[in-house]
Amino acid sequence: MDVVVKRRAAAFVCRSCTRRSQKQLQLQPRLRLRRSYSSAPPGPDIYDVVCVGGGPAGLSLLTALRANPATAHLRTALVEAQDLSKLRSWKLPLDRFSNRCSSLTPSSALFLDKIGAWGHLERSRVQPYQEMQVWDGVTGARIEFDWASGTPPPAGTTIAYMVENLNLTSGLLRRLDELGGVSVFDNAKVEDISFGEETEELDLREWPVVHLTGGNQLSARLLVGADGANSPVRSFAGIEARGWDYGRHGVVASLQLEGEGWGGDQTKVAYQRFLPTGPVAILPLPGNLSTLVWSTTPANASLLKSLSPRDFIAMVNAAFRLGPTDLAFMHSQSSGQDLEYSWRLEHTPFNSRAVPQTVAVVQEGTIASFPLKMRHADTYVGERVALVGDAAHTIHPLAGQGLNQGQGDVQSLASTIEYAVSHGQDIGVRMSLEPYVSERYLANHVLMGVCDKLHKLYSVESGPLVSLRSFGLNAMNSFGPLKTFLMNQAAGHGTKVF
Amino acid sequence: MRPSLLLPKHTPTLLRQQQQQQNVSRGVFGCTVAAREQGHHPHHHQQLQLHTAATSTTSSSSTSSVNADEISHFSALASSWWDPHGPSRPLHLMNPLRHDFIADCLASSPEAATPLSPPAAAGTQTRGLRYLDVGCGGGIFAESAARRPGTHSVTAIDPSATILGVARQHARRDPTLTTGTPAEPKLQYLNASIETLPLPAAPERLFDVVTLFEVVEHVDRPAAFLDACGWFVRPGGWLVLSTIARTWTSWLTTNVLAEDVLRVVPRGTHDWRKYINADELRAHFEDGARPVVMGVVYVPGLGWKKVGGSEKLGNYFFAVQKRDVVRDRQNKINRNWGVRL
Repeated sequence: MDVVVKRRAAAFVCRSCTRRSQKQLQLQPRLRLRRSYSSAPPGPDIYDVVCVGGGPAGLSLLTALRANPATAHLRTALVEAQDLSKLRSWKLPLDRFSNRCSSLTPSSALFLDKIGAWGHLERSRVQPYQEMQVWDGVTGARIEFDWASGTPPPAGTTIAYMVENLNLTSGLLRRLDELGGVSVFDNAKVEDISFGEETEELDLREWPVVHLTGGNQLSARLLVGADGANSPVRSFAGIEARGWDYGRHGVVASLQLEGEGWGGDQTKVAYQRFLPTGPVAILPLPGNLSTLVWSTTPANASLLKSLSPRDFIAMVNAAFRLGPTDLAFMHSQSSGQDLEYSWRLEHTPFNSRAVPQTVAVVQEGTIASFPLKMRHADTYVGERVALVGDAAHTIHPLAGQGLNQGQGDVQSLASTIEYAVSHGQDIGVRMSLEPYVSERYLANHVLMGVCDKLHKLYSVESGPLVSLRSFGLNAMNSFGPLKTFLMNQAAGHGTKVF
Repeated sequence: MRPSLLLPKHTPTLLRQQQQQQNVSRGVFGCTVAAREQGHHPHHHQQLQLHTAATSTTSSSSTSSVNADEISHFSALASSWWDPHGPSRPLHLMNPLRHDFIADCLASSPEAATPLSPPAAAGTQTRGLRYLDVGCGGGIFAESAARRPGTHSVTAIDPSATILGVARQHARRDPTLTTGTPAEPKLQYLNASIETLPLPAAPERLFDVVTLFEVVEHVDRPAAFLDACGWFVRPGGWLVLSTIARTWTSWLTTNVLAEDVLRVVPRGTHDWRKYINADELRAHFEDGARPVVMGVVYVPGLGWKKVGGSEKLGNYFFAVQKRDVVRDRQNKINRNWGVRL
């Protein structure tokens, strides 16, 4: 019986061992019989990496591991609550865009290209942009991030790529399907996470076992929590996530503007205006389409969602053109914003080329909102546990860095695992995972702190802080080298500071 | 005990033995396969079968390199061996460098690095590396070597039964380590010293890599110990070790700072007088191929870093390849033919 137990254990570890033991079992039919007649319930399946969550972070982690010859032999499993076949067959016409878009930095795009996923995205739905216009809604102080004021880097003038989250995840899934070898458990909820057991041969009391709906049990050398802000994996590991709610909601929508933008098809511009209630941004999509991200109070958000399309469009156009007082009044109206906007606009001087082109259409059914939070887990690892993406941190969307932070985590964790494998380390133990934490924790913390402080700085409506921040923004705008540096930071090339 | 101020005049253990052993054939790495087959090793006549834990006992014979005080010191540390923040943390941190060093050594002579298949087995698949880890302790290196891609098997020996108990228990936590065949498990721990371990009779059962990590500074009679370890290396294989140079710096860092001031290493772990310098090892293996030496420095907070030349200061890796007389002869013939053609 010893031999049988040993073979079973071996079979769970790697494909070559599995093949070998299957061969041995075929040679000895007696052993196989004994196994099949066993009345004991089947024990958990043993995996090297079990990833809970099939979002951008989880999918790109598994893709990175499978695409790398050094880690491709690892036994991996993906657990996802949604039905992945819907994601596989995701398709939209080119004039319709999903309302959940992210800004992918060139370094994230480079990583996705390295793991072979970038080519699987619908490229006609990906929009690079080359300039940013950011201004203060109270004072009008402005910073223009365009390469004309500094030297464009050799890596290209793209600051970031606007990508629909679904385009990214479905592309990653296509790449993962192409690579194969991952046991996929979709439509499956995590019912419980417990610890393994001790047998005569093995002591798996420190190995997490994921119990799924339907009875599957997955034993994990390394359990990866890519399972979002309310991560069950994080709770299992007893890791606290600390932070605060901003008391703000992010309102999103897919918009059609009256043209391709002031820079035409070649130079796309992202616009962000800091209002006292929070920043509002219009980010370019292909053609005359754009995506809206408007952080505002929950009351304003629910008003915006209740408006007619005409009034909603008027509010968005007003948000980039009218003063905070005008906006506050328009938020108090239950309807009629369209009329209100047109007469107030006549009395508001502004440079039309310094704001996005006028919004003409809001795509039906794309207006939605979600609460904004700031959360940071105390650590990203525990014994046989690692957290990536939103499970580890949730950031204010004002700099569009959330998804990129997740990709940065994945890149770091995948290379940590590669190093551990090539040096014979057990990839699940905390010691092997330490480099991942030391590489990512502080970098994420600094970026989250910066975004948090920016949000708070621009929430102030009057007082010395307002003139100080305007002075700072204007000073930065006239100082080319600093701007080039900041643009490089945003784009993720140049010397890494954040 | 602390070294006196007469530091440079201290006669190192290794040299003292070398002086005593001048008449004994020195440096197994210069000896031929024929010499080994004539039975220089005391255990040559034993069966190929290796000791099992139950039958072997800690040797107390006069030929043993095992020091009873060292055994009791390390046995007392057994429970904390695998605590990543315990006293063995520096060893855990050093472990990846050991693999890098071995990989560098193997890469330095690629044609000899692949195990030479015996003529009978010609045409069969190249197997992975076979390791012998001498003084394996809790198994930090042995486990990692067994897990590495490209490893066939690891045999790990230690004279302390207490520590081996910890090693065996810990290996049960990883299913990968319980693979292999009953005849040759992936990872096998044996309670033995190098002197009590039987030398395999069949040359193909010798080891590709024999490792002694942080061991030579803890044994009695290091010269004889190194020679005994050398018998287990296959021709063309490598003897790899790491140890500490006997210098003012190493006395200050490993004894005073690490043990007494910072207390990152348990007191009594190191006896400075037993440290061996790289030059002494070079002299010991003078008949062998050119040794590979790499100095490493521990930077608190950052871990171990390779620093060229630092083998003259403190911790260093040392490796020497065993001469492969058969292959050398074959290469010579090939060369001669090449010239004639």
